[in-house]
Amino acid sequence: MRPESQAADGEIVRAVLAGDRERYAQLVDRYRDRYARYATRMLGSVDAAEDAVQDAFVRAYDQLAQCKEPDKFVGWFFLILRNRCFAERRRNRSSASLEAANDVAAVDRADGGAETAEQRRALQRALLELTADQREVFVLKHVEGLSYGEIADRLGTSIPSLKMRMHRAYDKLREQLRDHT
Amino acid sequence: MSGHELHPLVKQLLDGDITLADLPAELRAEGEWALRLLAGVDRTDVSMPAVTWRVMAQLERRRRRFLPWLLAPALAIAAALVIWLVPRTPAPASLVTVRFVLVAPDAKQVSLAGTFNQWDPQATPLVRAGATGVWTATLMLPAGQHQYAFVVDGARWVPDPGAPAIDDGFGRRNSVLTL
Repeated sequence: MRPESQAADGEIVRAVLAGDRERYAQLVDRYRDRYARYATRMLGSVDAAEDAVQDAFVRAYDQLAQCKEPDKFVGWFFLILRNRCFAERRRNRSSASLEAANDVAAVDRADGGAETAEQRRALQRALLELTADQREVFVLKHVEGLSYGEIADRLGTSIPSLKMRMHRAYDKLREQLRDHT
Repeated sequence: MSGHELHPLVKQLLDGDITLADLPAELRAEGEWALRLLAGVDRTDVSMPAVTWRVMAQLERRRRRFLPWLLAPALAIAAALVIWLVPRTPAPASLVTVRFVLVAPDAKQVSLAGTFNQWDPQATPLVRAGATGVWTATLMLPAGQHQYAFVVDGARWVPDPGAPAIDDGFGRRNSVLTL
């Protein structure tokens, strides 16, 4: 018999829906870190991202019966987390820049000089000034390392549309950072 | 094209479609600027080990809040119970025998961590009763209030659904036992 830790997502989803609620912890364990970085870069702070990831898993649990393809739980969960991140950005956009800059500063104290720290702070602030759509495609490509094709599959959109968003993001970053790098 | 816009070839460079060497000489500086921009992107991994606990604790709290009280006995089969036993042999006046029970059919090991064992998850293992998935441990504890949680498979801290719980100040719930 296959150990529980190796159970397929669909098997776990079906067990949870059948009443074995504790099995849901396996899905959380399995995917909480996979999207932690995405949420952190989208929201600009680890604390906000952790709240978002937690909330997304709770919402996914509530809506689990609506997961039409249990074996593709992770893709379905990602869209819930994405909606949560977009909503959070709409609510707290003004405070995110400062927190993000502080997070970057904390990292740079350990591994870089003042000039590098200032450049990274500026980049972080500039990324948070992008629209959520632009920022998302930037994060998925240049932080998560996905190809345009993979991003298009994940978001259910076209590659030309993604490239248009990304190229606008490049221009906006250029506008804000031309004196920094 | 305004002065703020990157040249389309530089955008292709950022997309990874071409290399710096593919750019004409007059675009090299812009290309180098663009690559420095990408080099400054923070790609540090982020780990959120507390999320599992926080999610499961939130689901459990909500379940308990909305669970009709009269239905609780029917669900007790899936819940942990704490049963006070009458000691067969008299214990010292200040000690009380307590039996801790957790129903966890899928667990490989279960232990108890609490104020009575310095929260050491190795100190107090529970014993599985046959193939039923019922894990038990019997302890002699001093009278007073104790806080505790079950530790399933060495990693998952589970508050006792059959006992009152309080926030530990770090996002978890501790069960409370008053003797």
